[in-house]
Amino acid sequence: MSGSQSSLREANRALIVETVHRHGGLTQVELAGATGLSAATVSTIVKELLAAGVVDTRSTTRSGRRAQMVTLARRVGLAVGIHIGHRHMRIALGDVTHEVVAEQTLPLPHEHRVDTSLDRAALLIADLLERVGSSLDEVVGIGIGVPAPVDAATGMISVRGIMRGWDEVHIAHVLSKRLARPVFVDNDANLGALAESALGASRGYRDSVYVRASYGTGAGIVLGGQLHRGFAGTAGEIGHVQVDPQGDICRCGSRGCLDTVVGAQALLEPLRASHGTMALRDVIQRAMDGDPGCARVIADAGASIGAVVAGLAMAVNPQCVVVGGELAETGEMLLGPLREAIRQRVLLNQIAPLEVLPAELGHRAEVIGAIELVLQSTDFVLRSDEPVRALAEAVGDD
Amino acid sequence: MSVSARVPLLSLRQISKRFGAVEALVGVDVDVHAHEVVALVGDNGAGKSTLAKIISGVLAPDSGIIEIGGEEQTIASPSAAHALGIATVFQDLALAGNLDVTSNIFLGRELTDGMLLDDGKMEQVARQILRDLTLRIPSVRTPLSELSAGQRQAVAIARTLIGSPRIVVLDEPTAALSVAQTAEVLTYIERLRDLGLGVILISHNMNDVRAVSDRIEVLRHGRNNGSFDAATASYESILAAITGATTLSESLVRHSAAMR
Repeated sequence: MSGSQSSLREANRALIVETVHRHGGLTQVELAGATGLSAATVSTIVKELLAAGVVDTRSTTRSGRRAQMVTLARRVGLAVGIHIGHRHMRIALGDVTHEVVAEQTLPLPHEHRVDTSLDRAALLIADLLERVGSSLDEVVGIGIGVPAPVDAATGMISVRGIMRGWDEVHIAHVLSKRLARPVFVDNDANLGALAESALGASRGYRDSVYVRASYGTGAGIVLGGQLHRGFAGTAGEIGHVQVDPQGDICRCGSRGCLDTVVGAQALLEPLRASHGTMALRDVIQRAMDGDPGCARVIADAGASIGAVVAGLAMAVNPQCVVVGGELAETGEMLLGPLREAIRQRVLLNQIAPLEVLPAELGHRAEVIGAIELVLQSTDFVLRSDEPVRALAEAVGDD
Repeated sequence: MSVSARVPLLSLRQISKRFGAVEALVGVDVDVHAHEVVALVGDNGAGKSTLAKIISGVLAPDSGIIEIGGEEQTIASPSAAHALGIATVFQDLALAGNLDVTSNIFLGRELTDGMLLDDGKMEQVARQILRDLTLRIPSVRTPLSELSAGQRQAVAIARTLIGSPRIVVLDEPTAALSVAQTAEVLTYIERLRDLGLGVILISHNMNDVRAVSDRIEVLRHGRNNGSFDAATASYESILAAITGATTLSESLVRHSAAMR
């Protein structure tokens, strides 16, 4: 085989895998249509990928006819990861190897209602499962990340006022009643820390801090490879460290919290006179496109966050700080001043310099962390012959 | 109130329209800028569909001024609207069930190679548009009748990108869609906005409207009854304007008080 022919084969193979991944599950006919390859080529490559264990096929029907549905290969069982953010919900299906086999994002209104959002999450999960040709039976558990501190014992938010309407709600119970599957709830920065520590930028380290710079700011702390939540789950709530004694009143009731200075509203306000009303993602995009006002707002946010993270780093002495969340999409624009603020404040030691790194998992860190939470919390055994139903029962009821 | 130096893509000033004795629109003002989603909300009969039809050239206003990119224009017909950069998706979608995705996207605006239809080029462009909008339609060759309601809505939206419009009007795009399909459509709307278009969204669903809009314009009995910043306005305040519990002057007072 000539060089160009085999590289074409490689390219086509990669295209098919990427297309299957993007859609969750496709029939071979749909694959041909989506990639522009001939039916024969698709069939040959799918056979190769099946043999290599990259994809699975199963029979399905499409408009009354039998068809072969192609999905990414899964090790037994699925976990659902949900990230409920301030303005978006993201849901992902993953398998035990952390491969995300399907995902969906839903934009949410500001101050979205808990009952509506959880209902919609349940419906989206059902749709995702259908998309990959699976059912709830194969789901081992569901993990949810929320932008508030969570008490792991009850699965409830442990500080009043941070998510209006979500206090007093047994989030795990509400969702597991709908789906009859075990549900695990945690703070979204904690889940980001879990994901980056397992698979991302901090995977080589025992002690690390993950900072999530988003509509609010939070941190997750990993010590000795284990997530440290604290007694009531508020460890890492850097968004509520006081940075301005004369500042605005925060949702949590305190004055001058970091969130009142670098939270989304605080970032957008100074830009109103010059740029008009914008959404957070506009500021980020324009900063990256070179708008000096937006770049300045991001840089100043980096310095403010860095000053608080420095305190956390002094307390905990991590090997690295990984920075994620929407603001971190600007890269060095945020990280530079953040790193500098830490450098000015944190004790230099001879053993391991504190590294400040960009997150690797991007906007998926929280859902991957939620999937990881499920896998850690359920006694998962990787045996392809073991029926999943027995495993789910052994894991416990809701 | 924020001051923006940008010229609106579309500016409607004092638009009025009556059908016999019925005043469908009375002195309505609406602006839409690039990179912006403006929602038009209101009860049935508030005038939303009439306004959409005027913008898309189906109806002519009785009085008022329409400016596109700062220049006064008359939108004489749907093709005139299209030539002016306005694309519209009405509720009935106006798609051909027996044709495939590509054909529907290019319906009425087919690409030609000399005398023949350039199928290859059209398929290529169709795939690119689907990619740009990250639409979850696997194959451009699927007949429309085999697609779900959400996917058909997606094709209707994809169709609007032919001819590079600057303004897209969507009339009830998520009515009768499942949550997952709604999620897809809302994501497309966000993407249209991020591509720099001005989007006018007409919808009854306050969750959807508040999720993707920048500004929410309330119409009541054919008149403006409030303009809200979607990122901060509460559901209750918008509802009050829709039902008439608050009137325009009251909501203006409240709005400027909140801005201080």
